[in-house]
Amino acid sequence: MRALYIAATGMMAQEMNVQVISNNIANMQTTGYKRQRAEFQDLLYQNLRRAGTTTSQNDTVLPAGLELGSGVKTVATPRDMSQGTLSTTNKNFDIAIRGDGFFQVQMPDGSTAYTRDGSFQPDANGVIVTQDGYPVLPNISVPNNATAVTINNEGLVQATIPGQTAPQTIGQLQLARFVNPAGLQSNGDNLYSETVASGPPLVQNPGDQGTGTVLQGSLEGANVNAVTEISDLIAAQRAYEMNAKVVSTAEAMLDATNNLR
Amino acid sequence: MDNTLAIGLSRQMVLERQLDVVANNLANVDTAGYKSQGMRFERYLASGGRGIPASAEGRQPLSYVTDPGDFLDFSEGAIENTHDPLDVALDGEGFLVVQTPEGERYTRDGALKLDAAGRLVTASGDPVLGANGPVTFSQSETDIAIGADGTISSSQGLKDRLRLVRFADPQKLSREGGNLYAASDPPDPIEPGKLRVVSGALERSNVQPITATTRLIEISRAYQLVANAIQSTSSLRETAIQQLADVAA
Repeated sequence: MRALYIAATGMMAQEMNVQVISNNIANMQTTGYKRQRAEFQDLLYQNLRRAGTTTSQNDTVLPAGLELGSGVKTVATPRDMSQGTLSTTNKNFDIAIRGDGFFQVQMPDGSTAYTRDGSFQPDANGVIVTQDGYPVLPNISVPNNATAVTINNEGLVQATIPGQTAPQTIGQLQLARFVNPAGLQSNGDNLYSETVASGPPLVQNPGDQGTGTVLQGSLEGANVNAVTEISDLIAAQRAYEMNAKVVSTAEAMLDATNNLR
Repeated sequence: MDNTLAIGLSRQMVLERQLDVVANNLANVDTAGYKSQGMRFERYLASGGRGIPASAEGRQPLSYVTDPGDFLDFSEGAIENTHDPLDVALDGEGFLVVQTPEGERYTRDGALKLDAAGRLVTASGDPVLGANGPVTFSQSETDIAIGADGTISSSQGLKDRLRLVRFADPQKLSREGGNLYAASDPPDPIEPGKLRVVSGALERSNVQPITATTRLIEISRAYQLVANAIQSTSSLRETAIQQLADVAA
């Protein structure tokens, strides 16, 4: 009886669905978090009778075949890379991206990671770093006597130094874009890394040719919508229950067979 | 008397297969573009036993049951907004064309993606075809949009149009898994504007959970009914053997 195994694939798929939804809900307040969604595909079919098979010498054919499916599989959990809501924090080094692009972060192992979480801080040496202390690329050092730092929409970072009338340019923020941002690998800690699927990064100044602009004093919230997630959760739970019902039906039928003698 | 067992068995085998079909429908209740599957049953008449033809006077022919085929319910599933510009739902009869290593396949699952080379692909990574073949975007292109008639545009202007097809008899399509259908006959193209493409939305599975659950109960009860009939036959036979053999000495 195949139904037992088919229902098992359905239950596993819904379990994974709930896992993805719960991760979205858990990260509702995570800066720069992008929601994921589980996508499903049907599994292979077994052809018991193939449509179009000749049934007589008079060229009559079967109008419909008999195909039995074997369940469902989770094929992908792509991220929805749409813009999250921007909230004003008025912190100098909180930077939100409006539009496409990722900040680049220098990892301790020398590799580059990408993030939408722009809650930065200067460290002891004045270098702008992430919450984990990893430097943001390209490196920007804030002079220790600077009284104010402004970052414009195009990512130009300027510091006001006491005694100087004109603000001094101390660096230029750059954003990386990918052809297929959904193909980035999630590393946790709000960081992504490049994969073969995402394609190589295209590093540009904010505002250049489709790259998003940056906004100082704001952070991008998660793009998780509580109502959608909860209704998805209910739907997933019910779907799980229905598949469990198939298991109990199959079980009852096997039971009826066993009790024949 | 053997006929009762054989008839019961024919029904039980069909019911088991029907359960497999319902189980597959329920497993795919969240699969985008999935079409619900149903079974066709037929009465299969056999002669009344002992070499008497089925039409012989006074004899009822025996009715076995068989399942000669299945059918796909091609009614439209609910269209759900996802706000992903690369998600498309087809509002009406028709299919997207997918290029697989085995040849052209057809799908209604419009959860499209871009791959590393910037090609428009399905979730399995097979290119989705436009009127001029696979659609490729360069890295600097943004604002990819798919219009209501299937036109694909980006920041660099009009790119292509999704190739949309339909079949004279969609029941002849065979399922390949992976939300793909294979066809033995070539498809008919759909003229631009004849089929509405809804972008930012996905077509959900058209499986009706309530119908499927009711069917489960039906199958289970029918199966038990047949099992009871077999049981009765068995005890009838048992009694017969005991009583007939019970000859006075």
